[in-house]
Amino acid sequence: MKITNARHLGSVAEGMMENFTALFGAQADPPPPPTALGFGPGKPPPPPPPPPGGGPGTAPPPTAATAPPGTDKSGAGCGPFYLMRELPGSTELTGSTNLITHYNLEQAYNKFCGKKVKEKLSNFLPDLPGMIDLPGSHDNSSLRSLIEKPPILSSSFNPITGTMLAGFRLHTGPLPEQCRLMHIQPPKKKNKHKHKQSRTQDPVPPGKPS
Amino acid sequence: MAEKDHLEEHLEKFVENIRQLGIIVSDFQPSSQAGLNQKLNFIVTGLQDIDKCRQQLHDITVPLEVFEYIDQGRNPQLYTKECLERALAKNEQVKGKIDTMKKFKSLLIQELSKVFPEDMAKYRSIRGEDHPPS
Repeated sequence: MKITNARHLGSVAEGMMENFTALFGAQADPPPPPTALGFGPGKPPPPPPPPPGGGPGTAPPPTAATAPPGTDKSGAGCGPFYLMRELPGSTELTGSTNLITHYNLEQAYNKFCGKKVKEKLSNFLPDLPGMIDLPGSHDNSSLRSLIEKPPILSSSFNPITGTMLAGFRLHTGPLPEQCRLMHIQPPKKKNKHKHKQSRTQDPVPPGKPS
Repeated sequence: MAEKDHLEEHLEKFVENIRQLGIIVSDFQPSSQAGLNQKLNFIVTGLQDIDKCRQQLHDITVPLEVFEYIDQGRNPQLYTKECLERALAKNEQVKGKIDTMKKFKSLLIQELSKVFPEDMAKYRSIRGEDHPPS
């Protein structure tokens, strides 16, 4: 998009100012000069606008072309219309395009949103042993705790030597009941169409999608 | 990606090792001591292997919000699903705003042209140079 510098409309500006003032009546005071507001180097204040019907022959107010270079472009009096500023640059990609199509995510969208995604973690990791559907906070296995309080590690993994292995001589016999939890696994839903589908796909249950 | 498959393989072996260790320990017999020691050292080598995979995967980033799902025992694919749904909803919302603004603009110009025909003609000629009316 070509950006027009409204300043070079210069001499056209006076004629336009007339129209503006004609609509809103002759102003008693001209707009304050920039120095009065502390903006930039001073310029002489424009003379009072001519009365309506004065015509282009009367003394023109200073044109926008004489505005000091440091003048804020978005400031008043830079063009024929008060507060008229340059349009912001337009980008090709806006919210009016379908961004899912734009970024080639249609397949992903259909995969995740087209069919029902199973709720439980064990559906995502069916082969993982133990009760993984329990919240991590219950058995101190949350990922959040790993991030918030990372374990202190040494720089390398060293094999356990014979002396250290002596510490792992266990008592014979079964464990007490409370330590046996890891053998309990959630009931695995058998995939009837296993031979037809690839391993990574979830089975599509009958019924309408959510 | 091959590196991801590699890591997955190592993790599966590691988990299986731990599971077998658990079985040995749950009902320990003295003859199982050698097997136990072997499994314990498998833990160390398993961790070494997993650690080696890190370099090849250092550029993979995971959003922290997925961890919330996993910690609650929920399928992380639900996170992806909800991301996509939110993105689409927001996309539609913004498109609606853009369309409404465009309609408002053309309506405003239309009505202003009725009231201030000369000014609006000048405005349009200025804007027309750099911004075709849409």
